[in-house]
Amino acid sequence: MRIIEHPILGESIKGKLIKFEFDGKIVEGYEGEPISAALKAAGIMVHRHTAKQDSPRGIFCAIGRCSDCVMVVDGKPNIRTCVTPLTEGMKVQTQYGVVAKTV
Amino acid sequence: MTFERAGAVMKRYDVIVVGAGPAGLTASIEAAKNGLKVVVFDENAKPGGQLFKQIHKFFGSKEHKAKMRGFKIGDELLKTASEVGVEVVLNATVIGIFPDKEVTVNIEDQLIHYKGDAIIVATGATENMVTFEGWTLPGVIGAGAAQTMMNLHSVKPGNKVLMLGSGNVGLVVSYQLLQAGCEVVAVIDAAPRIGGYGVHASKVTRCGVPFYLSHTIIKAEGDTRVTGVTVGEVDGNWQIIEGTQKYFEADTICLAVGLSPMSQLLKMAGCTMEQDPKKGGLVPVCNQYGETSISGIFVAGDVSGIEEASSAMIEGKISGIAAAYSLGYIDEESLVTKAKVLEASLRSLRQGMFAPENRGKILDKTEEGYDISMNLLKRGYLTEEEVESYPGVKSKKGIHPVIECSQNIPCNPCQDACSKKCILIGEKITSLPVVDKEATCTGCGMCVAACSGQSIFLVDESQEEGYTYITIPYEFLPLPKKGDIGLALNRSGSEVGQAEVVKVKTAKAYDHTHLLTIKVPTELGLKVRFFKQLQEVLV
Amino acid sequence: MSKIRDRSIDIGTYCPQPDDQLIICRCEEITKGEIRQAIYDGMHTLTELRRFLRTGMGPCQGQSCSKIIQGILARELKISHLELEPAMSRAPMRPIEMSVLGNEVKGGE
Repeated sequence: MRIIEHPILGESIKGKLIKFEFDGKIVEGYEGEPISAALKAAGIMVHRHTAKQDSPRGIFCAIGRCSDCVMVVDGKPNIRTCVTPLTEGMKVQTQYGVVAKTV
Repeated sequence: MTFERAGAVMKRYDVIVVGAGPAGLTASIEAAKNGLKVVVFDENAKPGGQLFKQIHKFFGSKEHKAKMRGFKIGDELLKTASEVGVEVVLNATVIGIFPDKEVTVNIEDQLIHYKGDAIIVATGATENMVTFEGWTLPGVIGAGAAQTMMNLHSVKPGNKVLMLGSGNVGLVVSYQLLQAGCEVVAVIDAAPRIGGYGVHASKVTRCGVPFYLSHTIIKAEGDTRVTGVTVGEVDGNWQIIEGTQKYFEADTICLAVGLSPMSQLLKMAGCTMEQDPKKGGLVPVCNQYGETSISGIFVAGDVSGIEEASSAMIEGKISGIAAAYSLGYIDEESLVTKAKVLEASLRSLRQGMFAPENRGKILDKTEEGYDISMNLLKRGYLTEEEVESYPGVKSKKGIHPVIECSQNIPCNPCQDACSKKCILIGEKITSLPVVDKEATCTGCGMCVAACSGQSIFLVDESQEEGYTYITIPYEFLPLPKKGDIGLALNRSGSEVGQAEVVKVKTAKAYDHTHLLTIKVPTELGLKVRFFKQLQEVLV
Repeated sequence: MSKIRDRSIDIGTYCPQPDDQLIICRCEEITKGEIRQAIYDGMHTLTELRRFLRTGMGPCQGQSCSKIIQGILARELKISHLELEPAMSRAPMRPIEMSVLGNEVKGGE
C-alpha cells in the first residue's frame, strides 16, 4: 500500500523503520508517521468496534476530526490514530467500546 | 501593553488568526507586513491547511499563482509568514471565542487564554457526508482522507476505489488516486451532470475511468471492511430505478459530496449568521472586507463561503489589511486602494460558468455562444465532432496546439505560456482560448505543461507520412521511454489502436508534467489523447 | 410563528421506513429511526434533538451528521432546511479532556 515513488511528489521521505505492537503482533512502520498510516500499510483496517452495535470502524476523515479511528494506545483509550505519531515499541490495541479486549 | 484579568497577565496580540490554511496564512502575512503582532493557531500538526494535499496545478492567472501546484504555494506562504514574523502555533486547538475577543486555546494539556484586538477566523470547511447501508464500514472514507493518506503520508487509501461525487474535489482526487497507483473503478454522482470542471473530468475519463451520472450508492458490501459497492440509477425524485443495480468490486469508497463552512466558532462568538446554500451552509454575515457583525472579528476563506484556495488567499489578504485598518495601522485611503486591487482579482476568479451565482444553473452556451457539450457533462469527454467546434481547435499544417477547453473557467496560463502568441484569451480570464492560425507554433510545449486542466495537445501531421505525432501531458509513473509501444486511448478512455512513443520531454519549467510525444496512424490523430503502457507495472 | 416553533402543527404520526436502522450519528450510534421517532415525539429543533438523543454531541461534535440530521428534520416537518435554526454552538468546540479543562492558564504565564 505504500507509495514508493510518486510522479509529482517524488520519492517518499520517511523516518526510521521501527517495530510496534498491534494486538500482540509485531508490525513495522515508520517513526513519526501517523499510527493509522502504518496500520493501513500493514493492511489493518479495523481500528475499533463501537460500544452499542459492536460494528467495526476504521479511518474515515484521517485528519483528527471524526474520531472513528481511535484505538487503545499504550493503555490509553480514545487515541486518534490518524494524528498520533508512531513511536518505537508503541502498544496499539483494537478498541472495543472504550477499552481493549482483555486477553 | 498587557491585559489584566483576575490578577493574572493574559498574553495579548494585535491579531489572533484561527487556522493556518491558505486564508489564515495570507491574512497573517498581510497583517504582519503592516506592522501588526500576529499569532496563528492551528489544530493540526502541520500548517498549510489543505494546500499540502493539493498536488495539482492551480487555475486562475499569474496573480492567483496559476499553474503552480498547491503544495508549492503552501511552501511559499510558510516561508513568507516566517520572514514577516508571523508566529504559527501548531497542535493548538481554539475551543472558544468569548466577549472582548478572548480566545481559549488547548495546547498540550493546558487550556490557555489569549486576548486579541482583532480576530481573523479562517477555519475552512468540513466535508459533507451521505448515508447508505454500510457507510460506517472501514474502507468508506472522505475524499480529504484519501488525499491526506496518499499525498501526505504516501500510503494508498485502497487498491480499487469508487468515487462518489463529480464536483471538482471528486474529480481532482480521482486523478490523484490514479497518480498514486490506485484503480478508480467508477465516479458516480446522483446529479444528472458532472459538477466540476469539464477538463478535470476529461483527464480522468481518458485514463479509462467510467462516469455514472444519476447514480447513487445503494450499499457498501462487506462484513468488517468494504469488499464491493452496489450502485443504482436514480429517477427525477432521487429514487432508485428498479433493475438498474450494478456491482463494483472495490476496497474503498471515497465520499466527495461537498463541503460546509466550519463556522461554529463564529456562531459561538455571537456573530450574526445566515444560511446561504450558495455558500455551502451557515456563514457569518460580513461586509466587503470580511468583517462580521462583531467589529474586529473578520473571516476569510471557506468559512465564509465555500470556494477555492485561490479565492481564499485573496480573501485572506483583504481581511488582513482590514484588520490593520481597524486597529489604526493603516489609513482608510490605503485600505481602499489595496482592497480595490484585491477585489478586482477576486472578481476575475468569480466569473464564468462555475461562478458562485451560477451554482445550480444549467447553462447550454458559453459566454461566446458556443454550445456546451452535454456529452462532457454526462460522460466526461468531448466527442470528436464537438471538439472541432471550439476556438482552441484549428486544423493547420505543421505542429500546432489543440486546446480542448470548452467551458468558461477562470484560467489563462496557456496565453502566458506561448511566447509566439499562438494562444489568445484576452482580458477576461474565463474566455475560451483561441488558437491563432497565423501565428507560428514552435512546438516548445510550454502551453501543454502550463494547462492546469491538461487539455492542450500538440498535433503534428507533417513529421512522417501516414502518421500523426501527438504530444500529451503525462503525470504518471513509470514514465514511458522512447520506442515504447503501447495502447492509444481516445477521449473516452477506450483503446483505438497502438501508439509508439517518439519523444519524452522533461523540463524543470514543466514542473513534473512530462511531455510525451506518441505517433499514431493519421486517421487516429484527432481521436487519440492518452497513452497506456502495455505492461501495467504493479506498484 | 415559524413552523418549528408552532407545536400545534400536526405532522402526523411516526411510520417506520425501510432505512430506519441506518446509522446517522456515527459517534453516538443514533439511527435514522430514532431521530424520526424523536421528531414525532415533539423534538422540532436541532438543539432539542441534540439534547434528547445526543446526536452531534460525540467526539466529532456533529461535523459528519449535522447536515444530514438537518435534512431529516426538514423533511419530516415538511419545511425547507433553511427555516431551521442551526444547533447551539458553544465551547469547547472540540472534545477536550476534563483534566485539560481544569488546567486553565493565562497565555504568557
